[in-house]
Amino acid sequence: MTSSYLRLTGITKRYRDRVAVEDVSVDIAGGEGIVVLGPSGCGKTTLLRLIAGLARPDSGEIWLAGQLASGAATFVPPYERQLGFVFQDLALWPHLSVGKNLDFVMKAAKAPKAERRARAEKILSLVQIEQLSNRYPHELSGGEQQRVALARALVGEPRLLLLDEPLSSLDADLRAMLRLELRQLQRALRLTTIYVTHDREDAAVLADRVVEMRRGRIIAVDQAKPQEPS
Amino acid sequence: MWGLRSTRTLVIAAATVVFVVCCVLPLASMLAGTFSGRTSVGSTYAALLLDPRQRRLLFNTALLGIMTATFATVIGAPLGVALARLELRGKAILRVLLAAPMLLPPVVVGLAWISLGGDTGLLTQLAGRDLLSTWTHTMSGAVLVLTLVLYPVSMLATEVAVRRIEPRLEEAALIVARPGRVVWHITLGLAAPSITAAALVIFVLAASDFGVPGLLRVRVYTTEVFTAFAALYDFGRGAVLTLPLLVISTLVAAAAVALAGERLITTRRAMSGRHPPLFDPWKPAAVAAASAMVLLALVLPLAALVREVQGVRSWAEVVAGSGIAIRNSLVLAAVGATLTVAVGLGLGYARARARGTVGIIADLACVVLFAVPSTVVGVGLIGLWNRPGVLGTVYGTDAMLVLVCLARFLPLAVLGLAAAVRHVPYSHEEAAAAAGAGWARTISTIVVPQMSASLVAVWVVVFVLAFGELGASILVAPPGEATLPIRIYTMIANAPPANVAALALLQSVVILSPLTLLAWGLTLREAR
Repeated sequence: MTSSYLRLTGITKRYRDRVAVEDVSVDIAGGEGIVVLGPSGCGKTTLLRLIAGLARPDSGEIWLAGQLASGAATFVPPYERQLGFVFQDLALWPHLSVGKNLDFVMKAAKAPKAERRARAEKILSLVQIEQLSNRYPHELSGGEQQRVALARALVGEPRLLLLDEPLSSLDADLRAMLRLELRQLQRALRLTTIYVTHDREDAAVLADRVVEMRRGRIIAVDQAKPQEPS
Repeated sequence: MWGLRSTRTLVIAAATVVFVVCCVLPLASMLAGTFSGRTSVGSTYAALLLDPRQRRLLFNTALLGIMTATFATVIGAPLGVALARLELRGKAILRVLLAAPMLLPPVVVGLAWISLGGDTGLLTQLAGRDLLSTWTHTMSGAVLVLTLVLYPVSMLATEVAVRRIEPRLEEAALIVARPGRVVWHITLGLAAPSITAAALVIFVLAASDFGVPGLLRVRVYTTEVFTAFAALYDFGRGAVLTLPLLVISTLVAAAAVALAGERLITTRRAMSGRHPPLFDPWKPAAVAAASAMVLLALVLPLAALVREVQGVRSWAEVVAGSGIAIRNSLVLAAVGATLTVAVGLGLGYARARARGTVGIIADLACVVLFAVPSTVVGVGLIGLWNRPGVLGTVYGTDAMLVLVCLARFLPLAVLGLAAAVRHVPYSHEEAAAAAGAGWARTISTIVVPQMSASLVAVWVVVFVLAFGELGASILVAPPGEATLPIRIYTMIANAPPANVAALALLQSVVILSPLTLLAWGLTLREAR
């Protein structure tokens, strides 16, 4: 791990008169797996959106790889932050096949055609769905969709992977299996990861550190007990 | 509630019978008539359809449809995106102003176009020289007029489609791609089926229009059918000529249904969060384009009519001479709209609660029947009702004009009301049933109150469309009992242009009055 890959200092975000995130500061090291844990409405999704650049903080600064991404006079748009984002509802583009979902990401990054094909094959194989490239999202099971969303987030070779409760809609067995695979992937790729959840089991498996939030504030930052995938 | 003798079954069965009699039987009997009772049906078709003049008609009809659909989509789709996604002051009233040309009878806009672009027209006066008069009575002129009338179809369909896009889908793209790429590949990619379906509907409406090509002397199938009846009194020839139109309309409308799918009657769904501000940089351009379209499609045509009307010697004379036609139009459109909404409510309810194949077939039937050209509907109604016996007693009365309203606009009302019923959760009906209420009571006290605004909106739309109906009415209207559009159309050839413009303006005022009230109401609501 390298020191302070992502730094948040005094981040606050209000929606009208409601405070969603208040004075949040945290340092995350390169390759670290952070789980943001808290009940619904505590501001954890908003925090993820602020890091991604999908929302602008009212005050505070976000530093990414030593560069200011959000500040009083600075705002780097999301597509220039080199992120991967897995949404809670996955947000797979329904009019594009699995292959085209991935291709959109790589074309946006101006990757050459031959490289795009090779990279797509590699990522689909990594998440074990190489046979689904020509299928459309509505033709996939919940678990397969989950893997496609993860593949899409990874295929752009992001510096930081953000996951917003991506396993919340799955049944318990599938959820347990996928979170183990996710942990193995995160370690294999040495990817800095922020995973938002309200589930303590997710936190126990996926976290190097757990950040607990209540009412928009960080109330605790704990070293998670190491739990090796079984 | 679904028993054979239940109120629900009886109401839906009765509404279905009305639908079949008014919308399906006229076409079925016309088609049956062209295929039977003739010794040489095949040769009649061959003679009519393989004749080079007929091929020219087919080419003109297709050209009118394709060009209008293309231009209307190019104008309407970006405006729809702007209405869906830009924060604009007075957006509700802007939407009404932009949509208003769709409700003006095309022939009125055609008259305005003649008075705008003619050699003594407003544009000639403003420019100081003749700019457009050689272009007025041409295919290009017809395309322009129909584009101005029909672009709102694309605009409204696109707005609905773009509004329904889940914000997360665009955000997921914004994580990796610039806004322009997100708009092109994700936003427009997702809205494309609706935009294409709207273009197909515009194609059908343009190819089916009778008033504009008739007025601008562009020969297409609809004008040829009218000539076969009005000039040659040849029902058989007219009926045969309807066939290519009917086939084209049916195929294109079916393609539109296939593209639109369930979107046809789905009005809204819950969205998670707000859409990202992808379109904000284009706000000034969108405001300029919207203002230009209001000017071009609404203000300028009405201004041209107002200018033409200044030559009227006596308003009292114009109104008195057309008093019966005005009264007929108002009364018959009101009666027609009321009956259409009443029947449409029963069928709309049935469609909204239907699932799977039944629902798709119902949508297909409604869109195809709405797409049937007005002159074809007129021919079908004559074929069904102009015969000895009970049916013949109806023919020759004003009831035929009410039947025109039902035949042409009931399918549209069914789709509109189905969307409104779909918005009322079925669980509300189940709760009422669990509390002991019968179906009629549930509908009148639970469902209808929740869709009252839609009922009024559908009634107003049907009233406005019926008030401006020309293509079918001109064929079935009893002698001496003209409606206002028929009176205007027949006066064009033999009355001073100022008097014709006065009546066209009067027709526009009647049509735009409820829209003005609607815009006023929306503005008040927006202010709150």
